[in-house]
Amino acid sequence: MKFGISAAALLAASLAFSNAAKAEDTLSPLHWQSQGNFGSYDKAALQRGFLVYQTVCASCHSANALHYRDLTALGFSPDQVAAIASNVKLADGSQASMDDNFKNPFPDSQVAAKAFGGAIPPDLSTLVAAHPRGTQYIYSLLTGYQAAPSDVNVMANHYYNVAYPGNQIAMPAPLKDDMVTYADGTKATTAQEASDVAAFLTWASHPNLDARKQIGLRAVIFLIFLSVLAIANKRKIWSGVV
Amino acid sequence: MSDQTKSWLETRLPLASSMQSCIWNMKMAVEKPYLAALGSLITATLIFLTLSGFVLSLFYVAAPGAAFDSIQFISRNVDNGWLVRSFHATGATMLFAATYLVVFRTLLTGGYRAPNELTWILKLVFLGLVLIIGYFGYAMADGAVSYWSLHETTVAGARLTSFPGAISNWVFGGPAGPGTLGRVAVLHSALALLGFGVLALHLAAKRAVAPVPTKTVTLHPYYTSHHFVAFAVFALIFAVLVFFAPHWGENQLNLAAANPLVVPAVLTPPWYLLPVSAFAAASSSPLGSIFLVLAGFAVLFAAPWLDQSKGTKPGLFYKILVAVLALDVFGLCMAQADGPSMLSSILSTIFIGWYFLHFLVLSPLATAMESKK
Repeated sequence: MKFGISAAALLAASLAFSNAAKAEDTLSPLHWQSQGNFGSYDKAALQRGFLVYQTVCASCHSANALHYRDLTALGFSPDQVAAIASNVKLADGSQASMDDNFKNPFPDSQVAAKAFGGAIPPDLSTLVAAHPRGTQYIYSLLTGYQAAPSDVNVMANHYYNVAYPGNQIAMPAPLKDDMVTYADGTKATTAQEASDVAAFLTWASHPNLDARKQIGLRAVIFLIFLSVLAIANKRKIWSGVV
Repeated sequence: MSDQTKSWLETRLPLASSMQSCIWNMKMAVEKPYLAALGSLITATLIFLTLSGFVLSLFYVAAPGAAFDSIQFISRNVDNGWLVRSFHATGATMLFAATYLVVFRTLLTGGYRAPNELTWILKLVFLGLVLIIGYFGYAMADGAVSYWSLHETTVAGARLTSFPGAISNWVFGGPAGPGTLGRVAVLHSALALLGFGVLALHLAAKRAVAPVPTKTVTLHPYYTSHHFVAFAVFALIFAVLVFFAPHWGENQLNLAAANPLVVPAVLTPPWYLLPVSAFAAASSSPLGSIFLVLAGFAVLFAAPWLDQSKGTKPGLFYKILVAVLALDVFGLCMAQADGPSMLSSILSTIFIGWYFLHFLVLSPLATAMESKK
């Protein structure tokens, strides 16, 4: 655990010099820049979200589909990503490289199940994609921990959460205020951390969202013009016939 | 190409002249609606799906677990792999939309009546074929839902005896195991090629019974410009879906990896399989499910012979009935997508009842009434 904290501090320090960006408010009103038909990722939020992910989530959850090299899409330089990877110790004791998959904290799911009383922490690579309104769901889940109502008997090793189906979740509340220190000066409240990590996990599920919407906009504009042209062309050709 | 080479080639392989006479100068009836381009659009979409599917097949690994990972690899690590995958998924949506629309339009306009029985049957064969191909493609995704759907289908199939059991065994090789996805993948592509054969037969049958038009135009430039419009608008709808709703109509849960120990509460298939899934879900036994799905198809196949019109055009009452049937099937799909509950089970039973009532009672009565006037 001590190693985990020092690694997180190192990570925060290594990310600190890159971000001349200023503090952001994504909470009032709560929003994610990637939402909507024209929204693209807010890289500052993704970087903050990755810090939360790496400090908190990664100690129990895998994200097998991701490689460290993918992090350059968050706006990190290759050197920063190499530093992030080299801070990660793989199971065999070696440092992770850019081309390694995100480290799986457990050698296999049985070990994970044993560690958490039978509940296996799900892989986070496609969690947002696989859930309706996934980004919002992650946020609601992470901020949804409450004291159980008096008429609810919470099972052993479970916690009451208003956003979780059935309200009883095996994961204890993972976030609290100031668990991380954001390099850009954004205040690390629980809600802010939840919102940022939701942004990061959205990217993890949909890494091509920006390219998709950019190409899409051009393709649609082109095809609208093409359709209009085709209709005009057809009318001109048929004008003598019908 | 020099003139000399051209004439040398033309005498040995008369491509240019046959293109001229068979395609560009072909006589076509005037005043065809844009929806008449659906056949060409379906053919083009099937070609498109074959090409995008070929690219995907270069990276796809047909084994449980590895299949899901290989699709993740395509989406994340192959150059523009996410785009090709989106093309293939949305292409399937467009193919089904066009095919369902053709079936609906043919019912609405009475296009299945004599002498069009065979074109109607070939349309239905094509629909059945793409439904099977669509199901195999869905199973190949190997997600948290389709993994279990394939499991249930193959286990139910393995319990069948005699002829149905033999077919199931031949297709799946028994209950889902390490080799099942390989079989499914091969059949997915082989049946797609068979689809081109059905489309070719349909075109030939349609041409044979097409009425001789009184006023004609040449295919080029009249119907090339006409089809250009249809293709441009079709591509526009396709692009909107690919880029702004890439997984529209799919069960989102299928985008998570399957867990061999966790069965999802509801196995909702993609939108285009919902009608079949609803008919199958109306019975609790595998044989009953197969019977209901086949019966649902059988009344469609029998439509030309259940129809009592004697060469009259479909009237307003008949058209309203077909529109109600479309709403009925839509409602059935919604009830099925909503997941198992008392209400959706009651609604599904009513909707399926109406479906059979339409073909076996209402439609023959309506057409008989309208032909008497």
